[in-house]
Amino acid sequence: MMVKKTWTAVLIASAAALTFATPAHADPDSDFARELHTYGIYGQKDFNAWIGKIACKRLDRGVDVTAQDSAKFVSDQLLRGSSTEQAYQFLGAAMNYYCPDKRVLLTQ
Amino acid sequence: MKKLTLAGLAAAAALTLAPVAGADATEDYPIPRKILHTPCTAEQILAATRDTDPVYYERYMIDYNNKSPEVHRAVQDRIHWFFSMDYAGRRQYSEDTATNAFYEQLAWNWPNWAKIFFNNKGVVAHSTAVCMNYPPDDMSVWVW
Repeated sequence: MMVKKTWTAVLIASAAALTFATPAHADPDSDFARELHTYGIYGQKDFNAWIGKIACKRLDRGVDVTAQDSAKFVSDQLLRGSSTEQAYQFLGAAMNYYCPDKRVLLTQ
Repeated sequence: MKKLTLAGLAAAAALTLAPVAGADATEDYPIPRKILHTPCTAEQILAATRDTDPVYYERYMIDYNNKSPEVHRAVQDRIHWFFSMDYAGRRQYSEDTATNAFYEQLAWNWPNWAKIFFNNKGVVAHSTAVCMNYPPDDMSVWVW
């Protein structure tokens, strides 16, 4: 059941990531913030951009290894009351803008 | 006789109530009490902050990465020395840096050298709450 739920979240997140994938713009942080708004994730734009980039860096350095590690990191930084789904949506968007090479983790 | 007693009382009160000089250190300034008391190592604090206040850690490490290898070594040695002391030693160091701006020589090379450990009570509250869950001497936390 738990596994099923996680998979659903992953699927939704990857579907969302694909749907909302946009071509590169001059200011990825603004585009990233705009995409977060569609998931109901608000908060300070610079802070969210930092967290997105740091999530990528952690995967790069091996501090986080799986998408689940990464979603946990993101979830700890989001406002209390944010859902697991939102953490995965945040992560999917962060990967689109800041580390597209890591997107493959969401399908594993 | 009565007059003398009164004078004595007044003098005693003056001594008792003498306020602490403004520049003195306190339990929380300049070094927060949670750092004065924590059993964690510098590496545990860094690892914890990387997870609990990632932007603060990121900024500290960006600053750190802009310093020379000599300063890196000095920072690590100094902060290891600091955390090797017990409460009394740390409290004394806090006092020394509060009352003498020239006490910490390292500050000349990098004024914010211990920012992640000393300067933010909120950040320190988060890191010291979980630092014991991290390995005590994982030097990889200095590479970011």
